[in-house]
Amino acid sequence: MTLSHRTTSEQGTQGRLDFRGVTKRYGPTVALSEFTHSFTPGRVHALMGKNGSGKSTLVKLLAGVTGPTSGTITINGEERHFASPHDAFAAGIVTVHQELSLVPELSVGENIFLGRLPHRHKAGFSVVDWAGLHTRAGELLSSMGLDMDSRQPVSALSLGQQQVVEIVKAMSFNPSILLLDEPTSALATREVNQLFALVHRLRARGVTIIYITHRMSELFEIADTCTVIRDGLYIGSVEMATTTPTAIVDMMFGDAAHATRPPRRTTDRTTKPVLEVRNLTRSGHFHDVSFDLYPGEILGIAGLLGAGRTELMRAIFGADPIHSGTVRLDGVVMTGKSPRDMRKAGLGYTPENRKEVGLVQSLSTADNLCMASLGAISVSGFVSRRRERPFIGRQITDLHIKCGDPDMPVSSLSGGNQQKVVIGKWMNRHPSVMFFDEPSRGVDVQAKRQIFEIIWQKAADGLASLFVSTELEEVLEVADRVLVMHLGAVVAEVDPTRTNLTELYSICMEGARQ
Amino acid sequence: MSLVSHTAPSRRHNVPLRLLKTYTMEIILTLLVIFLIAVAPGFASTGNILNVLRTVAMLGIIAFGMTAVIVCGEIDLSVGAGAALAGCIVAWFGDQFSGVFGEWGAVIVGFAAALLLGFTLGYLTGRFRQWFNVPTFITTLALFAALRGFANLITGGFPLSSFPSGFDFLGGGYLFGIPFPVYIFALTFVGMHILMKYTSFGREVYAVGGNMEAARLSGIDIWRIKAWTLGLTGALTAVSGTLIASQIGAGTGTTATGMELDVIAAVIIGGTSLFGGKGRIWGTLIGVLFLGCISNGMTLMNVSEYWQYVVRGGIILGAVLLNQVLDRVR
Repeated sequence: MTLSHRTTSEQGTQGRLDFRGVTKRYGPTVALSEFTHSFTPGRVHALMGKNGSGKSTLVKLLAGVTGPTSGTITINGEERHFASPHDAFAAGIVTVHQELSLVPELSVGENIFLGRLPHRHKAGFSVVDWAGLHTRAGELLSSMGLDMDSRQPVSALSLGQQQVVEIVKAMSFNPSILLLDEPTSALATREVNQLFALVHRLRARGVTIIYITHRMSELFEIADTCTVIRDGLYIGSVEMATTTPTAIVDMMFGDAAHATRPPRRTTDRTTKPVLEVRNLTRSGHFHDVSFDLYPGEILGIAGLLGAGRTELMRAIFGADPIHSGTVRLDGVVMTGKSPRDMRKAGLGYTPENRKEVGLVQSLSTADNLCMASLGAISVSGFVSRRRERPFIGRQITDLHIKCGDPDMPVSSLSGGNQQKVVIGKWMNRHPSVMFFDEPSRGVDVQAKRQIFEIIWQKAADGLASLFVSTELEEVLEVADRVLVMHLGAVVAEVDPTRTNLTELYSICMEGARQ
Repeated sequence: MSLVSHTAPSRRHNVPLRLLKTYTMEIILTLLVIFLIAVAPGFASTGNILNVLRTVAMLGIIAFGMTAVIVCGEIDLSVGAGAALAGCIVAWFGDQFSGVFGEWGAVIVGFAAALLLGFTLGYLTGRFRQWFNVPTFITTLALFAALRGFANLITGGFPLSSFPSGFDFLGGGYLFGIPFPVYIFALTFVGMHILMKYTSFGREVYAVGGNMEAARLSGIDIWRIKAWTLGLTGALTAVSGTLIASQIGAGTGTTATGMELDVIAAVIIGGTSLFGGKGRIWGTLIGVLFLGCISNGMTLMNVSEYWQYVVRGGIILGAVLLNQVLDRVR
C-alpha cells in the first residue's frame, strides 16, 4: 500500500453516518435493538450508556468486528456492509480503541505508518525510505498542531502523548468518521486538554467524531450532542448546550427501580472488626485507604474503572505489593503476606476476570472447586476423587451449580456457573472474609440474582464481604454500606438507603458530593 | 425411556471413534510393535526385548520427572549433561575416596552427592525463575553447557572407571531375568503416577501449569511447586546417570549426549502439552516405549544412523501435529 500525500494536504472527506433499525442479537440476547440515529459531519457526538447498554456493540458494528442481525448502516446515503474491520476501514471509519496498539520500541513515525512504510529503490533493491517517512510523519504531526519528534521511540512518550499518536495514526488514513472509545480513561488533566485540542481541530475539518466516555465532566467540554442508549435501546439525543448532567444520568439509568432484596440487617459495630485497613498505599494505584469491615457486613466499593477498586483488593489479598499502611485480619497484622498466608488466615478472593485468573480452564469443575482446599482434603498429602466428593457435591448443591458431570472441563460451563465455581472454591475453606470483585460480570440476570442471594445468605451466616461492581445500581442493592473510590482514594462513604443513583454516579465521576 | 432410545444409537456409533481418539498413541504403539515383529529380524527375541527395556529405562526415569516439569509450564534442557555429570561424580568419588569410605562406601557417598547436586540445581533453577525472572529454558540451557564442562573437568576428559566390582550390576545386571534398571524404571513410573494423580502436590502441578495466576490467587505456592518438580527431575537425572555409568563401566563426560532431546520427545509423544497444564505419566510411558522400539527396530533393520535422526525428528513433529489435531476433534 502506498501512502498518498493528500492525507496531509487535503481536507478530510465528509461522512454522514445513518443507522436505520439496526439490531444485533447474540443468541437469545438482544444487545442492540432497532437503533436508528444519524451522526452528522463536523460534530462531536458523545455516546453514553452504562456497561452492557449496547455501547460496545455499536462500536463493534462500526469497526466491522461484527455485522448487524438486521437493519442498515449507510454512509452518505450509501448502504454499507462490513464483513471485516478492513471493510470499515475502506469505508472511511477508523476506530481508536481504549487499549493502545502501538509498538513501544518503534519510533513515532514508524508506528504511524506501520504496515505501509514508504519504500524507495536503491541499487535495484526496495528499501525503506526513512527520510521520506519522517518527513511525512512530521507534516502530519504539525498539521494537527503537534510539536513532536517523529524519530523518538513511543516508549519515551507519556500515556497521553501515546494516545495522541494513536489518533494521528488513525487520521493518517484520512477517515471521514473517527470513533474514539474512552480515549481519556488513562490520561491526566493536562494530557486530556491536549487531546481535546486535537479533537476540536479534527471537528473543524469536518470529520464526524463519535466519542465514548464515562466522564460526565468532560462531556460538556468536548461534545456537541449526546446520544444515550440503555439496555440496547435508543433512549434519546440531546444538544449539550441545552441539557444538564442530571438529565443525562436519568436517561442512562431510567427509573432503576430497586429490586427486592432481603431486609438490611444492622451491622453490630461494637464488636471487633474482622478486617482493619489503615492508610494503605500502593503508589500509582491507590493511596491512604482506611476502612473497617465487620462480621456479617457487606461493604460495597463503588467507583469508575481505574479508580483503584480491584487494585486495592488485590493488594490486601497479597497478590500485589503494598508500599505503606497496614492490614489487620482478626487483629493480626497481615501486611505484605502472600495470597497463601491470607488464605490460611481466612480470606478469600474471587477475581474480576474469572476466565483469565479465576479458574484453571484446562481442569475440571471438580478440580477447580477443590483447588484452594487441597490441604484440608488430603490425608498426609494424598487426595482422591473419593475424598474430594463431599467438597464438590456440597458446593454444587449449595450454590446450585449446573454442571452435569463435575469431571468435565470447567470451560464448558456458562459464565454464571463458572462464577459460582470460583465462589465455591472459596466456600470450601469457610472463609471469614470474602472479596467479590465484579461477581456479576458476564453473567445472565438469573445467575446474577442467585449470586447476590449467595452473598446475602453467607453474610447472614456471619461472612464479612467486600463487594465491587462497575454497575452502581448493583452496589446500592447488594451492599449494607458503600465506599466510593475516585482516582485511587476513598472520597466518600454512603448509606445505600439514603442515596440514589444520580448522587452516587456524580460522586464517582467528580470525586466529591456536589 | 425415550431419552435412552434417542441417544443410544448415536453413542453406539461413536464408540470405536471415541476409543480411537482416546487411545491413539497406544494403538499406534501396538501397530508399530506388530510391524517390527513382522519385518525387523530378531525384534521379538527375549534378549532384544530386554535390551529395549533397559535402554528405555534410562530414558524413562528422567522422562517421568520431565513430564511434571512440562505440565507445570517449565522445561529442563540440562538432563543429558546432568546425567553425564552424575556418572562422573560417582566415578570420581570411587577414585578419590575409596581409602576413606571403602570402595562401595565411596560410590554410595558419590551417588548421594550427585543426587543432592541434581536436586539442588533443579530447585535453584525454579527459584531463579522466581527471583530474577530468568526463564528455565535459559537457565537449563546454561546448565546444559556448563554441566558437561564440569563432567569433563572432573574426569580430566577421559573415562573414569573406578568402580568397585559388582557395581556394573546396577546398570547391566539382571534380577529374576529382568535388567535391574527396569525395576527402577517401574518404581519411578508408579511413584510419579501416584504423585501426579493422587497427591495434592500433583493436583497443584496441573493447576500451576494450567493457569499460574489463578493458582497463585487460589493460595497455591506456585514457585515451590515449580522448584520442586525441577528438583525432582534433577534427582531422577542423577539416578539415571549413575545407572548409565554403571552400565558402561565408567564415568565419562561424553555419555548421554542429546539425551535431553529424546526425553522431551518422549514426553511430547506421550501427549503432554508444552503449554503446560496437560499431560499424563502413562502417556510418557507410551512415549518412551515408542521411541525405544523405533530406534531399536531401525537398528535391527540396518537403517543408517543418520536416517534414524531424520526419522526421530519427523516423529516429534508428527506427534505434536497429531496431538493438536486430536485436541481439536476431541
